[in-house]
Amino acid sequence: MNFREQLGRQILFFDGGMGTLLQERGLLAGEVPETWNILHPEIIRQIHKEYLLAGSNIISANTFGVNAFKCKNLEYTVNELVTAGVRLVREAMGEVHSSQPMYAALDIGSIGKLLKPLGEVSFDEAYKVFQEIVIAGNQAEADLILIETVSDSYEIKAAVLAAKENSNLPVVVTMIFDENGKLLTGGDVASVTAMLEGLGVDAIGFNCGLGPEQMKKLLPQLTACCSLPIVMNPNAGLPVVVNGQTTFEVEPEEFAQSMRTLVEMGASVVGGCCGTTPAHIKRVVELCKNIEIAPVTDKKLTVVSSYNHAVYFTKKPLIIGERINPTGKSKFKQALRDHDMEYLYKEGLVQEEKGAHILDVNVGLPEIDEPQLMEETVTGIQAIIDLPLQIDTSNTEAMERGLRYYNGKPMLNSVNGKKESMESVFPIAKKYGAVLVCLCLDEGGIPETVEGRLQVAEKIVKTAAQYGIPKKNLVMDALVLTISTGKDNANITLEALRRIRYEMGLHTVLGVSNISFGLPERSRINTAFFTMAMNNGLSAGIVNPSSEPMMSAYYSFNALIGEDNQCSAYIANASQTIDKPSVSSTKSSVYTLDEAIIKGLAESASEETIKLLEQNMDALSIINEKLIPALDVVGKGFEEKKMFLPQLLMSAEAAKASFEAIKATLSKQGKDSESKGKIVIATVKGDIHDIGKNIVKTLLENYGFEMIDLGKDVDPEQILKTVQEQQVKLVGLSALMTTTVVNMEATIKLLREHDVNCKVMVGGAVLTQEYADMIGADFYSKDAMGSVRYANALYERGEL
Amino acid sequence: MDDSNREIGNKVNLREIYRYLGYGARIPDDSIQNLIIEVLDALLCVIKPRNIYKVFHSSISESQVVLEKSGRILVFESKNLADNLAQCNTVVLLAATLGIEADKLLQRYEILHMTKAAIVQACGAACIEAYCNILQEQILDELSKKGTKLFLRPRFSPGYGDLPLQYQRMIFQELECTKRIGITLTDSLLMYPTKSVSALIGLTANPQSCHIDKCSQCDNITCAFRSGTVEK
Repeated sequence: MNFREQLGRQILFFDGGMGTLLQERGLLAGEVPETWNILHPEIIRQIHKEYLLAGSNIISANTFGVNAFKCKNLEYTVNELVTAGVRLVREAMGEVHSSQPMYAALDIGSIGKLLKPLGEVSFDEAYKVFQEIVIAGNQAEADLILIETVSDSYEIKAAVLAAKENSNLPVVVTMIFDENGKLLTGGDVASVTAMLEGLGVDAIGFNCGLGPEQMKKLLPQLTACCSLPIVMNPNAGLPVVVNGQTTFEVEPEEFAQSMRTLVEMGASVVGGCCGTTPAHIKRVVELCKNIEIAPVTDKKLTVVSSYNHAVYFTKKPLIIGERINPTGKSKFKQALRDHDMEYLYKEGLVQEEKGAHILDVNVGLPEIDEPQLMEETVTGIQAIIDLPLQIDTSNTEAMERGLRYYNGKPMLNSVNGKKESMESVFPIAKKYGAVLVCLCLDEGGIPETVEGRLQVAEKIVKTAAQYGIPKKNLVMDALVLTISTGKDNANITLEALRRIRYEMGLHTVLGVSNISFGLPERSRINTAFFTMAMNNGLSAGIVNPSSEPMMSAYYSFNALIGEDNQCSAYIANASQTIDKPSVSSTKSSVYTLDEAIIKGLAESASEETIKLLEQNMDALSIINEKLIPALDVVGKGFEEKKMFLPQLLMSAEAAKASFEAIKATLSKQGKDSESKGKIVIATVKGDIHDIGKNIVKTLLENYGFEMIDLGKDVDPEQILKTVQEQQVKLVGLSALMTTTVVNMEATIKLLREHDVNCKVMVGGAVLTQEYADMIGADFYSKDAMGSVRYANALYERGEL
Repeated sequence: MDDSNREIGNKVNLREIYRYLGYGARIPDDSIQNLIIEVLDALLCVIKPRNIYKVFHSSISESQVVLEKSGRILVFESKNLADNLAQCNTVVLLAATLGIEADKLLQRYEILHMTKAAIVQACGAACIEAYCNILQEQILDELSKKGTKLFLRPRFSPGYGDLPLQYQRMIFQELECTKRIGITLTDSLLMYPTKSVSALIGLTANPQSCHIDKCSQCDNITCAFRSGTVEK
């Protein structure tokens, strides 16, 4: 039997700690342990042998810390250290004469960097770092890959993809959770388990961070949701600081007793981490080797996850927010064309606030690069929104990109019963473990009968199985056709829905509002139909969470079927809806537009602008006679230290609301609002703090400048390229630290070298006028208003 | 909000938040104060503060600080640090963070509500300071149990005075900040999550040397956020 066959069928033992043993044998502070694979191979081999003699079946090669980032400062390559590390395990295995199964694990740890967009390393860069390790370990004939002591689900995904795309080896993932069952980056046990099962790893578990007693408390969370063999490699207790020295104090006997409980609770692969020794493992083997382990069972859960939580399909229906979709929305389409990502993010945040559980993401427009935009949207949204996403596209490349860069177990919308669709979508869905929305239509179109739709559903289930996609990962859409074109359309859908849910045992989804196309007062029909569909087994409705009638129907339904304890969600929703002042009462604002802006009241500013427009005041006059003078009052107050940053920003936001009202009117009249000129703004390479830059951007926008925001950690080359391509005359650069001001200087130097005719203004916490002069900036802005004054001066001189 | 976050909330110095927002020693008007309380509350509901520290024996010379613990030796070349730690036999190396959640909240506000973004930035800075203050008091209590009454010197971090940021690498390696509490260090030596602190804290039996306002020690005397700055 090989490793995969034994896994989960018989108990297997990992080895224990390495670091402490190496320190005892003379490893110095600051010395990289993996260099000993080459400098002191005999010591490493000896430790492996001690673990084998203690009864370990799986020996982790001394490769945990090897990666391209750490090897930069070493005289050995990743390949050399990994090859030597795996070879030492194989040699140790050769020297131990035993009938026990023995396997060499390529041990992969965290790269120690946070991934973009929050951190500085891209997903692809992380993937490449892992790929190099995997290729070396595979060539060195490792028997399996152990990804361990990892705590960022996105990094874990990069590592697993690298392992599976560059080898056929079994993959075991053990993660470091805190006592509350959270990863350092916020994930929980259920969310990463969903993701890892989807990606097709072979075993999942915990290591490091906790001792066996703490793992006992967390293990039930894992056994509840995990359909794979479970690994437990705890530390020898929690770290205890004695005289400032970190130690682990749980002795072998006590450790082994706890480990026996973990095995009885469902772990089938056990070993140790920090502080554990061959003595610990020996005792664990003695106590556990004869325990008959429980067979691994499929929990049959239909689940999707975001980076930080899992969402299960159950009896209680889910809300899938439908608003990130350009269909029939001219403003959304324009935002896509303008690459206005903030507009998309706002749509997402609002839906999250309104109670959506999953967000549908559709960015398809004929004239845009959909795969690229899908990748960007998915990575952007998941950086700020906690909800799982449903990648919605018919473009298979956009599908693949969306799923690959998704941080969790995604939902995919959709496949249908056409041969071509199934052949192209199933492999992608399988690879990334997506929960797949299946449309009950095929080459023959949408079947007109219930039977017809069920037949397509069955065909899809059968074909998916051939690709290794289980029923639990399929969610069936019985399809909604409007009742304005066929009186039985709702009946057919509801009956198909009911039978799919209760006879075929599949979860279901519907685009609910399609039912009312062509009818007036659509929300009345939609709401009634939504309730009927939920009552016929709808697991998830794709709806607009901002629609009060729909959400009222949803909360009422849950309360009625007994899925809302003490009606608390219903009450919370109802009181929210009632508390809200009615729209008409706020219409009569007591402030004029300039007062509203000075006081920072966005709603009043917007209303007053609309009033002025209705009174036929033209847009330009509103801007020049009301808006800008009001902003100037605040700006001046700020400069004179009579008003402060929060007030400045509130006024800016009020002005923005006013601008938006003006823009909406202009675009109705087919006009564009005028720009005073383009300004490129960026936080320089190496710097990840961008609030200062964003404040400046907000203010400049309000003064009518077109802002090209390149974000944070921006390469000098990218700034140069944008300035050249868009013929920009002013660049704003921000840097926070002395270590990143050098990149500000480099950017300015690059712009000057290419003789670009543009001014550069700079700002940031550590900058001073002297420093700005030294690095060749044209203007040093000591605060946000400074940049406005400078840009305005350039504009007035005709230099923008 | 859990109890430990509530404690941070209780210890947060609102005046620090005002100062970070550019108010100097002034007090914001009621509407802004309310907004600050609202944002601070939202922040305290999401953060997951974590810390790690080690205690070292220290020997201080004129411009060098040597930390030693069971054979491990860390050397810092810095006159300012040596001055700060003068007469300290014990030095704590501390790293603490509010966690990635603070940055996520900041990013959300940057899209939805720029004013709140600026405020959460200021609140985060004040919270991590409050958290460090709580921690160092706990550490002090623990170490004072052994007998001698000890006093804390102000926290000193890489980047202060003549202590180069490059020492961050050594501190991160020693404390295993990334693995233990999830702070990562960029190539440009910035910490992420951004609301994080790494510092050396001296402990001394000499009571008169304690608690000097670290802000007023900084060389950047024109800084807009300098404590006590009202207006020029």
